[in-house]
Amino acid sequence: MLSVALTKRLPGFTLDVHWDAPDMVTGLFGPSGSGKTLTLDCLAGLVRPDAGRIVIGDRVLFDAAAGIDVVSRARRLGYVFQGYALFPHLTVADNVAYGLRERPRAERRRRAAEVLARLGLAGLAQRRPAELSGGERQRVALGRALAPEPALLLLDEPFSALDLPLRRALRDDLVGVLREWGTAAVVVTHDFTEAYRLADRIVVYDGGRVVQSAPRAELLWQPASESVARIMGIPNVLQGTVIKATPDRIQLRWRGQTLEAVNSPTRSYLPPPGAPLAFFVRPEYVRLIRKDRMVADLGHHMNLMRGEVVHDEDFGTTWTLRIRLDEPGPPAQGAWDLEVEVPHLVYEILEIERDRRWEFSIHRGSIHVLPS
Amino acid sequence: MWVVKTALVCVVLLSVALASPAHGAAPPTLTVFAAADLAFAFRELVPRFERVAGVKVTLVLGSTGNLAKQVEHGAPADVFFAANQTFIDELLAKGVLIEETRALYAQGRIVLATARAAGPKLTALSQLLEPRVRRVAIANPAHAPYGRAAEEALRASGVWDAVKPKLVYGENIRQALQFVESGAAEAGIVALSVANVPAIEWVAIDPALHGRLDQAVAVVRRSARPELGAAFIQFVNGPEGRATMKRYGFLLPGEF
Amino acid sequence: MDLFPLWLSLQVSIVATAITLVLGVPVAWAFGRRRFPGRDLLAALVITPLVLPPTVLGYYLLVLVGTRGPIGRVLDTVGIELAFTWRGAVLAACVASIPLLIRAAQAGFEAVDPRLEAAARTLGRSEWSVFWSVTLPLAWRAVLAGAVLAFCRAFGDFGITLMVAGSIPGRTQTLPLAIYDHVQANQMPEANTLALLAAGLVVVLLLGLGRFVRLRY
Repeated sequence: MLSVALTKRLPGFTLDVHWDAPDMVTGLFGPSGSGKTLTLDCLAGLVRPDAGRIVIGDRVLFDAAAGIDVVSRARRLGYVFQGYALFPHLTVADNVAYGLRERPRAERRRRAAEVLARLGLAGLAQRRPAELSGGERQRVALGRALAPEPALLLLDEPFSALDLPLRRALRDDLVGVLREWGTAAVVVTHDFTEAYRLADRIVVYDGGRVVQSAPRAELLWQPASESVARIMGIPNVLQGTVIKATPDRIQLRWRGQTLEAVNSPTRSYLPPPGAPLAFFVRPEYVRLIRKDRMVADLGHHMNLMRGEVVHDEDFGTTWTLRIRLDEPGPPAQGAWDLEVEVPHLVYEILEIERDRRWEFSIHRGSIHVLPS
Repeated sequence: MWVVKTALVCVVLLSVALASPAHGAAPPTLTVFAAADLAFAFRELVPRFERVAGVKVTLVLGSTGNLAKQVEHGAPADVFFAANQTFIDELLAKGVLIEETRALYAQGRIVLATARAAGPKLTALSQLLEPRVRRVAIANPAHAPYGRAAEEALRASGVWDAVKPKLVYGENIRQALQFVESGAAEAGIVALSVANVPAIEWVAIDPALHGRLDQAVAVVRRSARPELGAAFIQFVNGPEGRATMKRYGFLLPGEF
Repeated sequence: MDLFPLWLSLQVSIVATAITLVLGVPVAWAFGRRRFPGRDLLAALVITPLVLPPTVLGYYLLVLVGTRGPIGRVLDTVGIELAFTWRGAVLAACVASIPLLIRAAQAGFEAVDPRLEAAARTLGRSEWSVFWSVTLPLAWRAVLAGAVLAFCRAFGDFGITLMVAGSIPGRTQTLPLAIYDHVQANQMPEANTLALLAAGLVVVLLLGLGRFVRLRY
């Protein structure tokens, strides 16, 4: 579907990326300043790469070696800019119809009306962008980019300026629209949840380079490295030492505990004993053991640990706990070892506010090893 | 809609602009470029010549230097009356004027003028040093012959260095006069030919103190009607012209 | 009293402003929107007419377009007279006013968000179309301000016009030259009348323009 290879040298920054996206929606995810917007600009033809090749479907938009550089207006891409870049001097209707110049007037009107209706903007057609709310503006920007029926839609942080419920609603709407109109898209975001929700495949950017390109689930559970895990904001990225590694299992030592993690039989990672090993545990997968079931069931409760809640934070629907293990030595993450997330209900039932000492277990499948 | 309105306004404006260019009259005209010191004398002479010759005369006054440059670069002058000879000779050398028509028509005089509002009349150049004289107007010596003569006179009198800080340069002799007339300058050195105005009093300056202001004229080669120019020169140097010039303090050819 | 100078000045400044707009707006756009080698130097050069003494500027122009000048000679062969005609006055007015228009318009173009133009490009518009549909509409106030400045400057030009067109009564003596002439001849009533007319005209023009601008909203 989409094949991108770009090199662009700017003062103080070099973009050098290569990724392919066979899917409908691709997310570009990474910290600010890692080159995601620059990539979109290169795709759109607004910035000329120093070298590389851009192919969408069977159209070559750019090929430095062959001297091909299709001009921006001929690329047939839609671009929703960060901040929307709506034309302040035109009405909503004129904004949406802006890219339809070449069509006969009747068709222009029909298409514009269709887009406005689909995005719920029909009543706002004669307003100016300054009179609209953030969500309305976002939809106008979307409508303007989609009206000319582009082959590919580029979105730069499309929802970052909006409040949460609106963000969710628009996100779902966008997914629906893209699917209905069969438009492929590349979405830039620094919010992993958003990337996960919108994109089938996620390309992770860091410092102008691609550090991982994978379907979203794979990224979620198998970040390619510790730095990718950190970019994703995964908590509990921890350092242990290998005890023994087999194709099925890896045994490791961490904070005085002997932990067992699964290895992938198809892609096993076999570090030698004594080697350092990075791994992560998702906070929602650390299980508190109910005190009325004090006798640990080893078949059920693996990787048992004991510790104390030293800090907790209320996030409304969930609580985040910070646990310090009953082990001598400095904790793994500053003042605590593990971050644990429990639903609000569990927090109340277990009376964690009052009762701070707990046993924990982590299923071996929930300990994810990070290759170095 | 507003596009249409703007376009209409533009069309109206442009048609006004390009329509009647008001370029100036068609009947035989004589364009006379004359040094500023001839302002008053020619204001009398020109209408008379117009009546006598049945010609419309356009009189353009200015500083000799500027006028000379303009004539050199194609100004539509038919005849050029300069305030000295050098400018005429330079233009002759460049082939801009007709050699055969070159003639002297007057010799100018400079006077020391005092603004009436500034108090008692000054009678000597040395009096320019007095504290009540804060500014002294002369024509710009760089391109006005009368200005140069004024400078020469001041130097010859030995007061140039002292008076220099007080000097105000007029673009031409008329502007210098205007400075004194209005009282902006308490005193000035102006041409005798323009000095007889109510607002100033004057005394003559010894002509030995400065170079001769021999004023020459010639017909411009580019002129479409050189005979008209020549006719006007003859008129100025003729009996009627000489009488008028004399009244304005000029010395006439034959007298110098 | 002879009002020829007033009409001449009006005509000259309207034509000069029109020419200044046609020449100056693209230049202002190029300065404000495009980077090219020598741009800053060129922009500084454009300002120089503001800095040079007008008669000096006028003299240089005269040397170029007079009968002895390179441009003057070429125009002569096609029978066009520039110096010492109302066209010369237009030239003088243009030279005087173009820096003002360019500065004002350039600032206006620079203030247009480049992403708006980028958006227009991705939506299929040519550079020309981007300029007319996005850049200019968003900068029109600055361009208009520049045009007003240019008009006023053109109307009031003295030194350059004096040298290039001459102060030929009934032919090239514009209003400022006529006022000056009257002042020099100590004909104050005439001078004052013309000066008042000039001021009054400009006031009427600006008021009218203000209403027209406000009517757009």
